[in-house]
Amino acid sequence: MKIVILVMLLCYSFAFSSGDTTIHTNNWAVLVCTSRFWFNYRHMANTLSLYRTVKRLGIPDERIILMLADDMACNARNEYPAQVFNNENHKLNLYGDNVEVDYRGYEVTVENFLRVLTGRHENAVPRSKRLLSDEGSHILLYMTGHGGDEFLKFQDAEELQSHDLADAVKQMKEKRRFKELMIMVDTCQAATLFNQLQSPGVLAIGSSLKGENSYSHHLDSDVGVSVVDRFTYYTLAFFERLNIYDNASLNSLFRSYDPKLLMSTAYYRTDLYQPHLAEVPVTNFFGSVMETIHTDSVYKAFSSKTSNNKINSEMPVNQLSEHDELQKANIPNDELKTEKQKCPYTQMRVDLHEKLEKFENVDTVVNLGIAVMVFVVMISSSLL
Amino acid sequence: MATEKRNKEEEEVKTDDGSPKIKPRPIVQLGIFLVAHSPVFSVVFSAAGVLALLILPLLAKNTYISENALMPGSARSMLSNRDVSDGSKLVKDIKNYRLNHEGQGVEVQKLVGKYMSEMVAEVYYQKFHPEGNQFHPLHFFSGPDSYTLLDNVSCASYGVNVAGIIRAPRGDGKESIVLVTPYDFINGGDYEALSLGITSTLFSLLARVTWLSKDIIWLVADSRYGDYRPVAAWLSEYHSPSFKVSDLLKCGERNTADNFRRAGTVAAALVLKVDGRSERFEDTLSIYAEASNGQMPNLDLINVVNYLAVHRQGFYVKVEKVVSLLSSSWLKIIGEIFEAVGKLAHTLNPDWNFGIPVADYLEGSATLASSLYSQALGIPTGPHGAFRDNQVDAITLKVSPRFPPDSKTRQHDFFLRGARLLEGTIRSVNNLLEKFHQSFFLYLLTSPSKFISVGVYMIAFALLVAPLPMVAASLYIEGCKALTKSTDNPTENLKSWKWLDAAKQVFALHLFGFIVTLLPYFICQVPGQHSPSNRSIMWGTTSSSLLLITFAAIPGCSPFTSRHHGTHWAVLKSVTISAAFIGLCLMSIINFATAEIGALLLVPTCLMAQPIKPALRSRRIKSMLGAFCSMVLLTIGFPVMFFAISKGLFGEGLVGLSLGGEFWTWLESLWAWKSATYLYIGMVHLPCWLLCLCILFHPS
Repeated sequence: MKIVILVMLLCYSFAFSSGDTTIHTNNWAVLVCTSRFWFNYRHMANTLSLYRTVKRLGIPDERIILMLADDMACNARNEYPAQVFNNENHKLNLYGDNVEVDYRGYEVTVENFLRVLTGRHENAVPRSKRLLSDEGSHILLYMTGHGGDEFLKFQDAEELQSHDLADAVKQMKEKRRFKELMIMVDTCQAATLFNQLQSPGVLAIGSSLKGENSYSHHLDSDVGVSVVDRFTYYTLAFFERLNIYDNASLNSLFRSYDPKLLMSTAYYRTDLYQPHLAEVPVTNFFGSVMETIHTDSVYKAFSSKTSNNKINSEMPVNQLSEHDELQKANIPNDELKTEKQKCPYTQMRVDLHEKLEKFENVDTVVNLGIAVMVFVVMISSSLL
Repeated sequence: MATEKRNKEEEEVKTDDGSPKIKPRPIVQLGIFLVAHSPVFSVVFSAAGVLALLILPLLAKNTYISENALMPGSARSMLSNRDVSDGSKLVKDIKNYRLNHEGQGVEVQKLVGKYMSEMVAEVYYQKFHPEGNQFHPLHFFSGPDSYTLLDNVSCASYGVNVAGIIRAPRGDGKESIVLVTPYDFINGGDYEALSLGITSTLFSLLARVTWLSKDIIWLVADSRYGDYRPVAAWLSEYHSPSFKVSDLLKCGERNTADNFRRAGTVAAALVLKVDGRSERFEDTLSIYAEASNGQMPNLDLINVVNYLAVHRQGFYVKVEKVVSLLSSSWLKIIGEIFEAVGKLAHTLNPDWNFGIPVADYLEGSATLASSLYSQALGIPTGPHGAFRDNQVDAITLKVSPRFPPDSKTRQHDFFLRGARLLEGTIRSVNNLLEKFHQSFFLYLLTSPSKFISVGVYMIAFALLVAPLPMVAASLYIEGCKALTKSTDNPTENLKSWKWLDAAKQVFALHLFGFIVTLLPYFICQVPGQHSPSNRSIMWGTTSSSLLLITFAAIPGCSPFTSRHHGTHWAVLKSVTISAAFIGLCLMSIINFATAEIGALLLVPTCLMAQPIKPALRSRRIKSMLGAFCSMVLLTIGFPVMFFAISKGLFGEGLVGLSLGGEFWTWLESLWAWKSATYLYIGMVHLPCWLLCLCILFHPS
């Protein structure tokens, strides 16, 4: 018995240590706006726009950590109370009914941000404020605010340095908190924030190179402030054309940034990220892979899962993931349905399907079937 | 013990062998060098100081909005024609009322109050007593609280301010912005009524907007008794409520007790005035910013108004300038020289672009001179000064329309643009999260969009006063040497106490200056009505007799004592120069402009002062010239003389026999406004001038 358990544990650890072979199970998004004050309205609008987009593309609210450093909707200077817009046409209110802000106002600090990433929370912090990702998670980390050479300002009081970010990401990697991480930063000199990153599986996009500024896109003369930044505006413009089933690649997103329109040069750091960008759909980060399990009966399925899963789970997972990789390589489909455990009903259907597959020529079977049916009809009619 | 002794001996030997003289540090060497060549350096430094002052218009930088939160002009104006017609209606009603009911100011106030309350504002009336400023030496630097309520107020003369408050719908009520329109309810002209029209237009808009974060207060100040006093009275009531029931409340039919309303801390204030017709094609906007004692509002406030006025509403913006300087030929020549040098530098290196055209230089210098003069005078240039006394940033905007006051069609456009300018400014200030703090508080303007910051203009002053300590040190050394030669008694050769006699004299004269400064208070207490000339004569005679008493009482002081009694003139000059240096440096902290102008006058006088007798005796041209120069400088340096000369310079007509009276009136205005310049004249300039006079007539 002990030996069995030992072998099991070995298998288990092996499966988890090889991160690349872990399958992509879920998607998380951490969206951070780091600056406060009325004149930084656009940073709030940027983050809320991204929030809306990832939600539309399928990441549920419970897997989005939204950090907003200030409350623009309720600012006394806002001409449209309780509304936030990212366009001067005022068609889309970003601050609708179902916005869940996890960290707000002065809660948005470097300390809290690093705690969210590394998962070192105090006991009292509720689950909704934690990044509960696992080794199969794809995480989108979006940050906007005022930045400079290798730092990002938080709240006008403190700053996050590129070392801090790299260290947090390294800790996340060691704690197996992600499979792939995409960092998207819209600040001045955003590219410098990625300088210290080392962990594999990290893809980084910044709005501007060192020495460049990131500019706002346009000014809403009713609200009296700039409402969106250029980089975010064109990112959103790209995603507005997509729906949850589209399989546009990351490459097409990156190609959509025009330095002339951005007035800065978008920068991507891909050396830590193995997959070929042209083959990775954007929904790998901006959308969600929902795992569906067909069940006959809720209780039965769970009981079978608990009874026979423990021992067999390791090898099939590996096999499946290899299969997964192959499939990914051939058809870049964002809606990869992976099934870890098969319930009895589906098992039966699969068995039937496999038996049917074994027939050499389907046509003869069908023809025979029709003939038999005609025969039966004739007999039954004669009997009547 | 023995080893220690030996060690000590060894050390001593080493020092004896190695470096017998400890080499002084480079800074000490530099000091010694400067002191040794002080005559040359004092000329060089003083000339450089004057040159630096002349060069300032070239060094002026363009203003820029420093505070991110302001974002002027980013929001679209929301003024509608309805708002403008509200304003026009008020102006029309006031005019009609004034035609029908001559001299009934109260009814006009009620009318304005009615308009305000129709716009859903909280309206109240405040009565104030017109006379507030009384010179009292003990209250000199105290704040606006010194307007104590007089117990026996007469109901014959009192003013009534009307104020309306619009509460910010979603604001926290902790901050407010104040709009002031001074208006004389009895004698106010047609142009003055236009300022009420503009503000009423704006108020009508602000009553319905949703973006206010600060409350808006509109104060219609009763300017029957001057612009400043009503605003100051309102502010002192706003900030320090008096719980004593004033007798004023019983005056008039309206009881104003207990209804004084307040909003939060005043973030900024704008005073709007409309006067006279513009001489230019465009409507003219003049900005007045100088408050008491050379205090200025934050530069950002001026920037915002200037930006909006120029780039959004198309006003011609100007600040005060000394017009007579524009046509002065010597300044023009200097400007031409600078232009030529600038062009030459540009040809040498295309990156050197400091040259500016002569016309710009003249404009810049004239504005700079006016800016320096207004700051040095220490008298606020408008009602905004009352706000600055309460640490609120405020400016006065004086708009001159280009149309006659009865033109209806032009009036609509004028109201629209004026109110838009104010709306934009208020929206910018409304965006602020903190007090104005980003931009400069210490600056001089050379045009509405150009300024010289403290770091630049301090150089001129520093260069100007730099020779003083050098010359003082070198004179002291010289004087000591002379004294040791003249006296053989070794007990009198205590080197460090030689300045004591001179210091006694300097101290006595400074004390005299202090008493002279306080004299006007007592002269004012003399019963009976006296004309300013009489008062100045009284002051003059008491001061001179006091001076004679001082000279008689302290034997070493007088220039008429025998040479054996007195101190050596070099030591006296050294201590005088040190006192002048300390006085100027202290003044530069209190009011820079006063110190700058004072230094221009005092530094050459102090440096040139030397005994006239030996110069005349020697009959050498050089020393005769020096004596002549010092006499001329001393003549100019006499405060009354300088006052007369500056009056002539500013083109206000040559003053005749009433000079003393005018000087008295001028000084009276200085102390009434609590200007530190008055203290400077009495306690630094006058004693130093007298000391220079003593040196001039020194018997040695």
